[in-house]
Amino acid sequence: MPEYKGMVQPVRATPDEMRKIHIEPVPDEEKPQKALEYLDEIRKKFRSFVLAMESCTKCGQCAENCHTYLGTRDPNNIPTNRAELIRKIYRRYFTLEGRWFGKLVGAEDISLDIIEQWYSYFYQCSQCRRCAHVCPFGIDTCEVTFIGRQILHWLGITPKLHASVGAAMERVGNHTNLPKPGIVDTLEFMTEEIMDEFGVEVEFPVDKPESDIMYIPSSADFLLNPYTLMGAGMFFTYIGANWTIPSTVTEAGNFGLLFDQYYTQRHNVMRLLNAAQDLGVKKIVWGECGHGWRAAKMYIPSLADRPVRWPITHIHDEVADMIRKNELKLDPAKNSQPVTLHDPCNYVRACGLNENMRVIMRACVSDFREMEPHGMDNFCCGGGSGILFDDPEMYQRRIQLSQKKADQVRATGVGKNGDGILCAPCSICKAQLYPMVEEHELGVEVKGLIDLVGKALVWK
Amino acid sequence: MPSITVNGVEIELDDDGFIIDPDLWNEDVAKAFAASEGIKELTEDHWKVINYLREYFKQYHIAPMVRKLCKETGCSLKYIYELFPSGPAKGACKLAGLPKPTGCV
Repeated sequence: MPEYKGMVQPVRATPDEMRKIHIEPVPDEEKPQKALEYLDEIRKKFRSFVLAMESCTKCGQCAENCHTYLGTRDPNNIPTNRAELIRKIYRRYFTLEGRWFGKLVGAEDISLDIIEQWYSYFYQCSQCRRCAHVCPFGIDTCEVTFIGRQILHWLGITPKLHASVGAAMERVGNHTNLPKPGIVDTLEFMTEEIMDEFGVEVEFPVDKPESDIMYIPSSADFLLNPYTLMGAGMFFTYIGANWTIPSTVTEAGNFGLLFDQYYTQRHNVMRLLNAAQDLGVKKIVWGECGHGWRAAKMYIPSLADRPVRWPITHIHDEVADMIRKNELKLDPAKNSQPVTLHDPCNYVRACGLNENMRVIMRACVSDFREMEPHGMDNFCCGGGSGILFDDPEMYQRRIQLSQKKADQVRATGVGKNGDGILCAPCSICKAQLYPMVEEHELGVEVKGLIDLVGKALVWK
Repeated sequence: MPSITVNGVEIELDDDGFIIDPDLWNEDVAKAFAASEGIKELTEDHWKVINYLREYFKQYHIAPMVRKLCKETGCSLKYIYELFPSGPAKGACKLAGLPKPTGCV
């Protein structure tokens, strides 16, 4: 059970696992000095980080707005205090008052204990940015934990889950270690399932040259989310698209955003652009994945190593656009169970998908009930940024972190008769909520949004 | 590094208790894992799931989609949770000697 001086911590990658993702772990005795060097390098580069370090007045607005704090009541999980774990070091070494007056002004010397504290608390933050949304100064604690996690990574401290995802991505092009024969077999199975359930012939072309659309699904869909894959295939077939799924990058996620924005995140981007170029596509359409869509939409333009010749859109944007143009016939009566929508944080606070998800929802289901708060004000599912750790200690923490979401779902009444649907169109949200709706006994089934589109389509 | 000893052979496990070298798997290893998972006895249905997972993994080097596992073995997901309380990924795959699934699962 991973714990350090009473703090919960995720299981960490071994030195060999770190080397697989190109990091040579720093020996413990050198970690504090190296951490300072990395911090110094990064602070000179990111004004968003310096803003967070210099501007906080400790007004406390963020505290009750953070689901991690609400679920754990641990003062270090208040966003401003979480940032303080790094701010006190910043102050000590990089401000005049900290260098002169030290502890008197809340500055502290760097030590191994501090670094271990970063590891515990920066991986309890789900980087949902709800604190940034309510901060009167616009301080984004997500930027702080991004940088904290980056420094930890360079020191050789990364959760086993994140490191194994990084290694899998580099080895096969997706997070779940799916090789091409497995991808093709699962897609053939989906074709059969669609025929059995909907009586429609849907092909899932893999690596088809000269396709117009390259669809990037989440690899978790191949193991856990059949209706998300089926819905996408049915949608593309319905609109008569010339589309394909690339076997070299069958992954909408990019965990690099979450622990290594240098090598890991960039490598995934190059891989994507190579696939688009090799297959000669005209457009890239993204599948259901929250952090991955933020990484694609907001980061590819600045991380790409060549001009990006392809428009990159989200499948929700594509579907909503078709609905607005009256080009999809959808029957909401085909989804007649009560449905509520969990907004993936990255969609609504980073990518502007808010209204389009609702356009789709209104067209596809007959009993849609908003949870409160929702849209840009939503709360995280508790698994955001891939903190899906499943050792017993961290699993208990996940239950605490999803408490706020459970309360919200319950208040909608959708699960009252045990037949509700909790739509959560993101793979991390799904992976977090599948077990959490059972732990909190919510009476709902977790589904994606494209799942509901597939079911509602009316075929000619 | 954690390990278990089965029939006098020491088998290395990862931190989550999954086998590191799938070639060292045999039925007695599955039985030893069953005991650590709190499964009293491996029934015919347990073996049906374990054998399907092994066959699939041998061919595709990945676990099948959970829906396919259910369909091909005739076991509902609920029943798989009854057979393997830790579920299809963390329970059934472990007993079948597959690596721990990674990613958003």
